[in-house]
Amino acid sequence: MANTTVDPLLEEIIGPTPGQLLRKRVFGHQGLMIGAVVLVLITLVALFAPQLAPHDPYAQSLVARMKPPVFLGGTWEHPLGTDHLGRDYLSRLIYGARVSLMIGAIAAAISGVIGTAMGVAAGYFGGRVDAVVTFLINVRLAMPVVLVALAVVAILGGSLTVVIMVLGFLLWDRFAVVMRASTRQVREREYVAAARAIGASTPRLLLTEIMPNILNNLIVVVTLEMAHAILLEAALSFLGLGVQPPTPSWGLMVSEGKNMMLFEPWLVLIPGAVLFVMVLAINLMGDGLRDVTAPENRN
Amino acid sequence: MTKTALRSTIAGIALAASAGVALADKASDTLNMAFTKELENVDSYFNSSREGVVMQRAVWDGLIYRDPVTNEYVGNLATSWTWIDDTTLELKLREGVKFHNGEDFNADDVVFTVNFVAKEENGVKTQRNVNWMKSAEKVDDYTVRILLKEKFPAAIEFLSGPVSIYPNEYYAEAGPSGMGLKPVGTGPYKVTSVVPGQHFVLEKNENYFDGPKGQPSIGKIDIRTVPDVNTQIAELFSGTLDMIWQVPADQAEKLASMGDFTVANESTMRVGYLSMDAAGRSSMDPNPFKDVRVRQAVNYAIDRKAMVENLLKGKSVQVDTPCFPSQFGCATDAAVVYEYNPEKAKALLAEAGYPDGFTTEFYAYRDRDYAEAIASYLNAVGIKIDFKMLQYSALRELNMKGEVPLSFMTWGSYSINDASAMVSQFFKHGSLDDARDDQVKADLEVADSSTDPATRKEYYAKAIARITEEAYWAPMFSYNTNYVFKSDVEYTPTADEVLRFTTMKWK
Repeated sequence: MANTTVDPLLEEIIGPTPGQLLRKRVFGHQGLMIGAVVLVLITLVALFAPQLAPHDPYAQSLVARMKPPVFLGGTWEHPLGTDHLGRDYLSRLIYGARVSLMIGAIAAAISGVIGTAMGVAAGYFGGRVDAVVTFLINVRLAMPVVLVALAVVAILGGSLTVVIMVLGFLLWDRFAVVMRASTRQVREREYVAAARAIGASTPRLLLTEIMPNILNNLIVVVTLEMAHAILLEAALSFLGLGVQPPTPSWGLMVSEGKNMMLFEPWLVLIPGAVLFVMVLAINLMGDGLRDVTAPENRN
Repeated sequence: MTKTALRSTIAGIALAASAGVALADKASDTLNMAFTKELENVDSYFNSSREGVVMQRAVWDGLIYRDPVTNEYVGNLATSWTWIDDTTLELKLREGVKFHNGEDFNADDVVFTVNFVAKEENGVKTQRNVNWMKSAEKVDDYTVRILLKEKFPAAIEFLSGPVSIYPNEYYAEAGPSGMGLKPVGTGPYKVTSVVPGQHFVLEKNENYFDGPKGQPSIGKIDIRTVPDVNTQIAELFSGTLDMIWQVPADQAEKLASMGDFTVANESTMRVGYLSMDAAGRSSMDPNPFKDVRVRQAVNYAIDRKAMVENLLKGKSVQVDTPCFPSQFGCATDAAVVYEYNPEKAKALLAEAGYPDGFTTEFYAYRDRDYAEAIASYLNAVGIKIDFKMLQYSALRELNMKGEVPLSFMTWGSYSINDASAMVSQFFKHGSLDDARDDQVKADLEVADSSTDPATRKEYYAKAIARITEEAYWAPMFSYNTNYVFKSDVEYTPTADEVLRFTTMKWK
């Protein structure tokens, strides 16, 4: 647009543009804003970990074990203290953000692709496809995630790749269920019928008519599952079956601090609190995104 | 939060959690203590845990007793013994001893027990404890002969340790499972209640004979399985436990600084070490550990002194030998000592053709923090670690198949004070031998079968010198155990990691 000044009269007549409306909804949504800001901050911290971390997260110093954080009488040398091997706690938290975000994002992406493909196919085609997918979903729902993850990791050994793969291939059930239901709703709409009437192909129908209209549900599930994957990674690492030391992982940090919980509770509280804030931020953002993108909230 | 406030909060929580557990103490003459691990079977021949050894020494007696302080052998159920020849030991038995069920102790019990446990098909869990005996014969009611398969210099040590005598009539009828539920022995404590794996109640044996273990003093010992150390400590604060043991160094230090508890630390015979695949059995290719310089580099890379001082603490010491220094034949002066020298380690790696280091799998099964510290030291000289933490049984199996390039292992020698219990266990081309050195094997064979102490010493020293020169292992440190108990309990722990209820008293 060449002319940046808009006639106020004209604006009053045609009203705000869809973009302006969306922006207003986004910035007016408190939960979304809080979640997004926190998540962006954590992502930035993860990206710039090498620049931000005051120490090498792997450098151990056995003479400086379990130094308390600054607010419990420690020094600024180690603002959040040191762990049971004298490694800087802040640096490990910062690098741990990378592990958590990476696992959350990749696991959610893998399960998202699997679950969405299955759900959309089942919802759109119905019939036998639906029967097969529903059966697979039921099979998957009958398996307790943590137990299966524990078994697989116990057999294959814990490592970052194994954990990501296991979670990615286990957490697709909610995607499939939600996508199947939303697709069923959307495929009966007039605009889908209209597109079909003008001769649109099935892939085109799915990609340009169905997907955009179920995207808001997908986003919510993605955030939910991302948070779920991060928590599961922490749980597996806590049990010693997830990310293997010395890789810094928040779940592993909780696990390593657990033995000293009675005497040095901050060893558990700090990574626990960070994990809590991150999962809360992701969930807030997911909720908010659903609110602002849902068609029924557009007016 | 102040320490007192913290303590009362924790005590409050613990008290609420354990409501219903009777508070018992000096007034009711009951000592409450906790086991961390579940004891699978009280029958000492059918478990292999430390908890089992503790129960065994309280409920049963062996023929011989080793004084834990002086290490001298004295008669227990036997009063004297003589070697008839290299493979026949004749023992005179103590008269007037009764089992807890009233059965008289005599030669029949010894003959029955030895013949039962020596038979492999009866499935005694730790075969090494009993498979040196062939059988036993009765000479008269109070004289027996134990026949050995071959010369076995450590026979007296084993008879004073894991071989305890069972009542023949009762055991024939009850068997190992019956014995596990209703144990009957001659020992200073009798078992009055068993909930397998969970709860054991011992009561003082009022008719205990005047043997070397001494008379028991505390009336009742109540043992519960409490797997979590934090829970144990909370229960100690709230008073539902009077004694805990195997407390990690950091917690023990904090408990000691509180002043309400006695924290006693004793060394154990357990030695931690790194085993390297020197024989090249694992699938690692190329296998750097085949090169002696790489193995020496591993030895130089680790600051064992810092680990002992800051992680293990207590009475732990740096160990340079593939055996515990107090063990007979464990020649510390024969061992090559590798000091902490990361520069030298890097130089050796470069010389061996690994200037940028290499990546290896590193296995461990316990003490993840120690293993992590070791991994970090190795990382610092360029040996990158793919860390694998397994259960002991799984790692042992992998090890036996020879699929482990580098592992952090420990060995407690079953508290047997003889180098054969450790060095011969691992360096005689058995399935756990990662070195497979013929010269070491030959030396150990002489040392193990000789009855002349001087010859044994000489050949163990030779083997130890060779093992450390070749750096087949990187010996690390010895372990220690912390015993924490209420200040009204009096107890002095011993270096063999056996809790002796008989020597516990109320102040």
